[in-house]
Amino acid sequence: MLKNYFKIFLKIASENKLFTFLSLFGISLTIMFVMIFSMTITKITKGTGPEKNLGNIRFCYRVKTVTTHNGKKDFGYSISSCGRWLSEEHLKKIKSADIVSMYTGPRPWEFILNGKYQKKIQNQTDAEYWKIFDYTFLEGRPFTREEVDKGANLAVISESLKELLFGKEKNVLGKTVHYTSIDLTVTGVVEDPPPTDQNAIGDLYFPYTVLKSTEDPQEFLGGFTDAFKGSSSSQFRAIKNEVQETIARLDAADTTKTVFVPGPNSQLEKMMVGYGDPEEFSLGSSVFKYFLFALAFLLLPAINLMALNFARIHERGEEIAVRKSFGAASGMLRTQFLFENIVMTLAGGAIGIILSYLVVAVLGKSVTLQIDFLNNVPLTFSFNYIVFAVTLIACLIFGLLSGFLPAIRLSKMKPAVYLKGGEI
Amino acid sequence: MIRLENISKIYRTKEIETLALDRINFEVKEGEFVSVMGPSGCGKSTLLNIIGLLDEPDNGTVELDSQPIKLYEDKKTARMRNQLVGFIFQSFHLIKELNVYDNVELPLIYRKTPAGERKKLVLDALERVGLSNRMYHYPSQLSGGQCQRAAIARAFAGNPRIILADEPTGNLDSKIGQEVIDILSSLNNSGTTIVMVTHDEHLAKSTHRIVRLFDGRLVG
Repeated sequence: MLKNYFKIFLKIASENKLFTFLSLFGISLTIMFVMIFSMTITKITKGTGPEKNLGNIRFCYRVKTVTTHNGKKDFGYSISSCGRWLSEEHLKKIKSADIVSMYTGPRPWEFILNGKYQKKIQNQTDAEYWKIFDYTFLEGRPFTREEVDKGANLAVISESLKELLFGKEKNVLGKTVHYTSIDLTVTGVVEDPPPTDQNAIGDLYFPYTVLKSTEDPQEFLGGFTDAFKGSSSSQFRAIKNEVQETIARLDAADTTKTVFVPGPNSQLEKMMVGYGDPEEFSLGSSVFKYFLFALAFLLLPAINLMALNFARIHERGEEIAVRKSFGAASGMLRTQFLFENIVMTLAGGAIGIILSYLVVAVLGKSVTLQIDFLNNVPLTFSFNYIVFAVTLIACLIFGLLSGFLPAIRLSKMKPAVYLKGGEI
Repeated sequence: MIRLENISKIYRTKEIETLALDRINFEVKEGEFVSVMGPSGCGKSTLLNIIGLLDEPDNGTVELDSQPIKLYEDKKTARMRNQLVGFIFQSFHLIKELNVYDNVELPLIYRKTPAGERKKLVLDALERVGLSNRMYHYPSQLSGGQCQRAAIARAFAGNPRIILADEPTGNLDSKIGQEVIDILSSLNNSGTTIVMVTHDEHLAKSTHRIVRLFDGRLVG
């Protein structure tokens, strides 16, 4: 039976080229976008390069303070990264984590070299940063805790910055990098992190203590992210409890404002909050919002295919009437139509996967996905079974959604009408 | 074999009602070859569609093989159409996307006949209508006579006990038309009950009985 359905499908698909093209076009483009977007996001949230252990890291990256008068919240509030005092004096002292690191994360560094404008990324870190993120050192070593405590003018540079500043020179350890008015001595060279990394990213890394703090004493807000390393969900719960207890204690001690620090959160949650209000964020409602968006996106080609199918029902009236005459029950006809539709959408899905390979291969480096103002992530193709399964399910949903209603109408058609050429 | 009792059928549109069949009582015995004649629009095809369970009467009862039929029983009527009845249409109604072999195989697929037996039945049917050498041709590659022979092969491939033929020679010249009637007569001689709608008095005379319809009523 399926062989017969398949023959009909192939014949109809090859004879109605415009219909086939329109059907496949919508599905394959949608699948292509879903594949590229989800693969790139999966790569970012799963972590690669120095972030390959991202699953074992949680982040405190946003602080919200609301001014209060006589114990009541005022309208004014501020949201920023963690202050140096908050990170250094409190969050770094969280005992339930294996390691805690504070760093600024990627920040722009612009300079002129040999008359040419250059834009690179600098990242001010502590010594623990190098234990949390797994960099590959091509030369030298990271700076130590003692060196950070002393505010030593040291730097770790990326391979590409080394090439830019020192050309083909082999050993650059001990050489000087000028950062604004400060001379930093190179202690190590690391492999460039992949552009999908969101935290372990930079060309120039130096101890955050090199720059004197300009923040007010006991300031909650500033420019730091804190990363906590753990190994189990129970440990992450303990870390969260300890962080929240610490924040509650600090909040109680300051009567001029209330303080809210989310998490520590996973990379996925961190990306979802973005620059929004962390207090308003709820993982459930965010996931639901994205789910609705994805559903609407997936529905478009399904509706397109459904409309095409409805338009073509009349064309297939004679075939359906003949099938009914020779013993097809309505259920069999519905199955046939759904089968054809699912084969069509699976074909569209397969084309979509091939297209996503091609688009990434041809445009991957020039077309980027903007994650935040500094991170333009190139499109990525990494075969991922979960993404593949999701795509397959999306194809089947397309097939069922777009075929279901037309199949019902088709199976209810009166054969006598079509056997007389549309007239009784 | 076929028994219609007090069958009426009205076609309704927004503006008008057309009485296609008016209290028809009609019986065909097993092994009979009956012609149904009458002017255009008198209800011949409607009668055939009701016998073949393709259309529903507004009143009256239909019995096939001594079983009363209710058309809302979709699976049961589909099974009866498949096992008991074979259709031949004036315009052949071969599925244009399938070749001759696949068209003839269609009722056997719905009957879930095993593949080996199916192949034998299809080849036998094509041999009997002289289309063995055209089995991989598509309908568009065949003449009108060849299409009708393929349609006849499809109708009897599964050995149904009834064949309903709606003007099977209407689109064919007289020579080819006679060939078609010869095939139908040979099927009838093997025991198949046949009801054929025709305008051709000469062909009708070669059947056992002629039934005449006029304005939805049996007149002879």
